[in-house]
Amino acid sequence: MHKQRMFDLARPSRQHWLGYLLLAPAVILVAVIIIYPLIISVDLSFQNVKLVKMGDARKPFTLINYQRLFTSPDFWMACWVTLKLVVAVTVGSLVVGLSTALLVNNKFKGRTLARLIMALPWAVPEVIAVVIFAWIFDSSFGLMSWVFIKLGITTEMVAWVSTPGAAFWAVAMTMIWKGFPFVSIMTLAGLQSIPSDFYAAAKVDGANVYQRFRWITLPSLMPVLGVTIVLVLLWVFRDFSIIKVLTNGGPLKSTTTLSIMTYDQAFGFFRFGYASAVGVITLIICVIASLFMLGRGPKSGL
Amino acid sequence: MRRTLSQSILLYATIVGAAIVILFPIYWLVITALASTDELSSLPPTFWPEAPDWGVFAKVISERPILTWLWNSTLAAIGAVSLSMLVSVAAGYSLSRFKVRGGHSMGMFILTAKMLPATLMVIPLFALFRSFGLVGSLWSVILAQATFIIPFTTWMLKGYFDTIPRELEQAAMVDGCTPLSAMFKVVLPISTPGLAATGLYAFVLSWSEYAYARTFLISEQGNWTANLGIAGMRGEYTSAWNEISAASIFVALPIIIIYIFLERYLVGGLTAGAEK
Amino acid sequence: MKKMMKTCLSATASAVLLSALTVSAAQATTLSFVSWQADDDAQGGWWKRAISKFESEHPGVTIEFTKVERGAYADTMTTLFAGGKPPHIVHLASFEYQSFAENGWMENLDPWLEKDNIDMTGWAGQSSCRWNDETACIMLLYFGYMMAYNKEIFDNAGLEVPTTYAEFLEVARATTKDLNDDGIIDQYGTGHETRGGANQYVTEMLSYLLDAGARWTNQSGEVTIDTPEMIEGLSRWKTLLDENLTPRDMDSGSIRNLFSDGKMAMRLDGPWLYPIMINGKVADQLAIAPPPLHPPLGGSSNVLGMASEISNEEKALVWDFIKIIMSPEYQRAYATEGGNTPPSPVADVSGVEKDVPHFQLLVDTQMEAAEAKVDRIPVGLEIQYGEFAKMVQQEVQRMIIENLDPADVVKVMQKKAESIQASY
Repeated sequence: MHKQRMFDLARPSRQHWLGYLLLAPAVILVAVIIIYPLIISVDLSFQNVKLVKMGDARKPFTLINYQRLFTSPDFWMACWVTLKLVVAVTVGSLVVGLSTALLVNNKFKGRTLARLIMALPWAVPEVIAVVIFAWIFDSSFGLMSWVFIKLGITTEMVAWVSTPGAAFWAVAMTMIWKGFPFVSIMTLAGLQSIPSDFYAAAKVDGANVYQRFRWITLPSLMPVLGVTIVLVLLWVFRDFSIIKVLTNGGPLKSTTTLSIMTYDQAFGFFRFGYASAVGVITLIICVIASLFMLGRGPKSGL
Repeated sequence: MRRTLSQSILLYATIVGAAIVILFPIYWLVITALASTDELSSLPPTFWPEAPDWGVFAKVISERPILTWLWNSTLAAIGAVSLSMLVSVAAGYSLSRFKVRGGHSMGMFILTAKMLPATLMVIPLFALFRSFGLVGSLWSVILAQATFIIPFTTWMLKGYFDTIPRELEQAAMVDGCTPLSAMFKVVLPISTPGLAATGLYAFVLSWSEYAYARTFLISEQGNWTANLGIAGMRGEYTSAWNEISAASIFVALPIIIIYIFLERYLVGGLTAGAEK
Repeated sequence: MKKMMKTCLSATASAVLLSALTVSAAQATTLSFVSWQADDDAQGGWWKRAISKFESEHPGVTIEFTKVERGAYADTMTTLFAGGKPPHIVHLASFEYQSFAENGWMENLDPWLEKDNIDMTGWAGQSSCRWNDETACIMLLYFGYMMAYNKEIFDNAGLEVPTTYAEFLEVARATTKDLNDDGIIDQYGTGHETRGGANQYVTEMLSYLLDAGARWTNQSGEVTIDTPEMIEGLSRWKTLLDENLTPRDMDSGSIRNLFSDGKMAMRLDGPWLYPIMINGKVADQLAIAPPPLHPPLGGSSNVLGMASEISNEEKALVWDFIKIIMSPEYQRAYATEGGNTPPSPVADVSGVEKDVPHFQLLVDTQMEAAEAKVDRIPVGLEIQYGEFAKMVQQEVQRMIIENLDPADVVKVMQKKAESIQASY
């Protein structure tokens, strides 16, 4: 134990070096891979370029992509749709994830099975999960409409994909189904670090279930939940495969998020300069949102 | 503590209700594998096919190199998960405990890898890997996957380490531990639920990745991962959905196995440690 | 925990050792060929036979034939070209090759054709392969539509096969039914894809527009949407959807399955419907008739070319492969194996009816479509087609959702189409 004097990282003066040392591999690895695409994207967003080829001479600097972007109603619509979807899916995943985690944290017979079921949506490959949901939400033979009719919620088949509001919720429900296990598992792991004597003490003080949740469970989970929310949020921001298969951004752009817009402009219309501008704006929005959510480290400075 | 009968009934009813909603799409996946297209497009729905076609599983496994796909996915996942977990445990711990100057900004920088739309990443990354001669090899997929897994794992672990009382390490350091050995001997052992949950999710992320594998592995069919294989089963004019569903069930199994294996680490880690 | 770390490390190490992680160094010559048809029963087999013939004629050269599904095709091909590693043999849809050609990524085939004295006169749809006064590709398929119908549904309702739009609509109305009285339609008069892809959406509506005499653009490329004919065409499409004569929001694969399962009376489609029909559940009830709408929908489908970036030796090899594909022998097989109308004017198609009974009908509609200069991709909007199709899909969906008057919709579409055209 006392033999590592040679480079004693325990000395307070050296501790910050250890901090950097531990951070370095992750930062370097991410930097090696991300810096080049990042620079390319920012650079492309300032060029009027259609189909791009790496290594081609760059086109003259222009702001036209951003001018077009900020004056385009489609862009603002995409921002609005993204915001709605982010809120709906994050809140939905959080509520479902948190409640399922609390549910299976109880002791009961068959708990292991219940926990497995809770994590199963993870196991279904997204490529196929989306197709299954496309069937469930089919407008002519879909099960969801049939259930709605049987329950008396509607009288006729819901045209999920050609009704803007319905399409949005079809997407949101699919994403919540795919996204809540993440919240669940992380919460479940977080719940394990709450010492059980906290609850015992609270019980002695006469706290009811809600009070125990509000004053013990929730505060103890906050560090995990905070990060989880940000990660779910970034996932919704960036995901495009679910929306692409379910609704392809339609109808009437009601499910066209910034990520779908980037994809359409790049690979659908071959306008890479414009697509890059949308992507860069998405990045900036994400940075601001994460800074806001994760706060700034107490001692960190730029 | 004992529950009353009505509490128990309520608990089980809620659990069964939730399980039905969660499981339904998975049940439908199984039906899709077994039923005919005719039964799938009928209302009222067919909840169990009249003549389930169990042969479909044998058919896909004999006609498609599913085992090769699974093996490639496993290699990619082992590579991406180990790489990400190794660097993220360190980075997450540093972010949680050391709070060095600029550390938070570096943490945010790592997170940007999850912010730029994949659409824009794929072409520059393809060019980058091509110049390294990595296109076609699983390394390209491992590295690309690691970039979007690391932000997840780093921040998840930071969040998890934050929930662990600092007093535990301080006590260990008073006993003569260095910060590093405190991390290994005190914090990591009681973090098994967090490590297991994060590792599991990293595995799921790698397993379900498709966009990078699609472009980087295109020319090397022998290196195709499971998701690529399944996506490649789609036809131009129609798709044999029963076969695709059957293949998907094979692809889902490893995740279920990993989950069952890791489940016991998910719980009881700290309770055991803290009550020492 | 240490143990866990150790396991972790050794797992990494073994992963490194065990996997074939290195790319095999280029041995001999390998030509890469990416296609969405690689896995198809009929079409894929045809390609594979051509490849083995090529390989037997060129010892030491192999063609690596890889499948990329249609849904990811444009992205993947763009990435391969943009990243500097294009496939040697380039297979693209006829509505997407233009952007690649415009960027100079596709070899001009004129010198190659000249070198071998190949005359392309009479090659169906080849004019669509001309880009910037060069031959960017060889047209693989120029098709004409047919109408498939379900005899049983027709007989049960005592209906005749329609020959005009009015009759078609009548039959569609008479055959759209709720069979089990639960208030939900179980059998549809016809079926069109109205979900997802804009290109497909626009293709699905086009038959009705053409029959009404409407065209997106004229032969000199001017937008001609704001016309009475287009208003009539859009009204027809609106009628079909408003009256639920087609299932809503279904992808084209499911639509074809629905037809071959016997739940749809009529389907307008290309030659590729046939192999799906004869493998369907009610194959013996299904028949093929000439399409009731005139001129029939037809057009270019997919093209073959070579990447401009590859070495001259590789180009010569690719050209040899293209010549095999163009040879009368393989053009005939294109009909007998794939049920397609081969574009080659010299291919011997006698006796194809034995394998494809309705072959003459396909030839006739292809001719009729070609004579009327019908194509899915409008002249003057080729390079903007993706954006144009998306715009049309959106405005038409708006018309249906908000129940707008087609007469107003054409005005909006005319303006938007002109501005898309001008933006390039």
